[in-house]
Amino acid sequence: MLMEVKNQIKVMFLSLKYNIMRQMTNKVTFITNIVFMILNNASFIIQWIILFSLKNEIGGYTIKEVILLWGMAASVFGLSRILFNKAFELSELIINGKLDTFLVQPKNVFLSVISSETKISAIGDLIYGYICLLLYGITIKNVILFTFFTAIGAVILTSFVSIMGSLSFWIVKGDIIADSLSNIMINFATYPGNIFKGIVKILLYTIIPVGVSNYMTVDIILNFNLVNFFYIVIFAIVILLLAFYIFNRGLKRYSSSNLMNSRI
Amino acid sequence: MSIIEVKNLNKKFKIKEKEKGIRGSIKSIIKPEYRTVSAVNDISFTVQQGEILAFIGPNGAGKSTTIKMLTGILYPSGGEIMVNGINPSKERKKLAYKIGTVFGQKEQLWTHLTPYDNFKFFGAIYDVPDNEIENRIQELKETFELQEFINTPVRNLSLGQRIRCEIVASLIHKPEILFLDEPTIGLDPVVKENIRKLIKKMNKELGTTIFLTSHDVGDIEKLCKRVIIVNKGKIIMDDTMSNLKYHYLDRKIVEVKLKEKVALNNEEGINIIKEKANGLKIEIDSKKKTIADVIKMLDTDKIIDMNISNIPLEDIITSIYKGAKVEVF
Repeated sequence: MLMEVKNQIKVMFLSLKYNIMRQMTNKVTFITNIVFMILNNASFIIQWIILFSLKNEIGGYTIKEVILLWGMAASVFGLSRILFNKAFELSELIINGKLDTFLVQPKNVFLSVISSETKISAIGDLIYGYICLLLYGITIKNVILFTFFTAIGAVILTSFVSIMGSLSFWIVKGDIIADSLSNIMINFATYPGNIFKGIVKILLYTIIPVGVSNYMTVDIILNFNLVNFFYIVIFAIVILLLAFYIFNRGLKRYSSSNLMNSRI
Repeated sequence: MSIIEVKNLNKKFKIKEKEKGIRGSIKSIIKPEYRTVSAVNDISFTVQQGEILAFIGPNGAGKSTTIKMLTGILYPSGGEIMVNGINPSKERKKLAYKIGTVFGQKEQLWTHLTPYDNFKFFGAIYDVPDNEIENRIQELKETFELQEFINTPVRNLSLGQRIRCEIVASLIHKPEILFLDEPTIGLDPVVKENIRKLIKKMNKELGTTIFLTSHDVGDIEKLCKRVIIVNKGKIIMDDTMSNLKYHYLDRKIVEVKLKEKVALNNEEGINIIKEKANGLKIEIDSKKKTIADVIKMLDTDKIIDMNISNIPLEDIITSIYKGAKVEVF
């Protein structure tokens, strides 16, 4: 079992290494992709600067906390897309029957599929996350918590988009639902959690768990709370197990295809 | 010893039916209707260890679906499968160590990497220890003559070189069974011949069992001793290649070039396929008419040249697909 996990991780890192090697074949594209993603993210902060020139705080957050929130959202998204980019395209793979290659390999299909591609611009997102942390204020505690929650948030985000993608095993055209819900998860990640009330708030802490992966994690960095800390960790484990379970259940319904395609 | 055992295998797909036009689209949202299609319908067969088997049939016959169930890609709707003593739908990972797959229409290799890096990656996938993988690559490089391009990115290789690398990648973990789904598709005759030689060599030297699907009659004729023909999800023939040919050898094709035109009537046992100037192409049913009878009818003095051949295997197979009597095209 331990050996199996070790070998799976080895394959995942080889896959990551080869993906980055591929992108590096064109140095200019590689660097501009990363730099422009950082600039793209930075442009959104301007909106907040304008807003905060009109109002001192929004949902209990000042510009400083919003920068931290943005940083968390960017680094969670970045790490998830660096390691597990194919989780965001799971629907397409299922609908078009592109899982065959992974099914004939003696590895966990779910992990092999989602880790088979890296989005290079996501390195820009991850770097941007840490730039935001730098702007917020660096302490050893902040760096450790920020890094830990980036990893936990990436697990929650990846699991969530994978569950949405896995729905395509049951729903024809499930890609539309998966894309919409995944976008909601990403779009809501950069707003202070306290501006949402009622049903929306409940939704954001349960079905679309951006509240757990972003709002709660940022709140813990601002004011440490052990109960919430464990809640987030347990939530991440549960949603991860759920993602594995749903994908494996769905795999029994997989219908493959005879489309001509290649691994690129 | 049987290495593959299939009993009463079934695979059904549920397909959504939609009436034409926008009305049909709206109706299919409110009250969707489904139709069940049997892609594989109650098939049973066994494959012996070390055998090279051709599993053929027209498009949509259920070949790929069967291969996908045998390799653990698809779950069967019913029936039993044992591949090397393993049930593919229950122990997919365990089976993966024992089998290799090459899908001619689907690339498994990373196109931006060299074959060498790809083989290293596949070695890691199959948990081949690092020191062993080097030796294995070396071995396969020589057997498959990859020396010239082992360090060239796959995207820069020709199709023939790429297929060779695909086969090598699938052999890295020394599989006992190799599933080849149209391995020679799109290749020129010389490369096809090379690939066939390599498959044969692999079977002979390593004792690898080969399960082959192909539309190329050359692949089947030159590689396989046994052939299973499927159509509409059912096995319509399971026989040795020599038996398959033998049953149809009573039909001969005679092509003659004559000094002058000879009128030959469509008699019983003779079927005129083509008649052009002084040339004649006829099919003879040797049970009803002997070759000697036909030559007499043609008048030996008038014959300039003559060629007698069996019906091409391609025609035999096409007719079996159609479920009709063999006709030459």
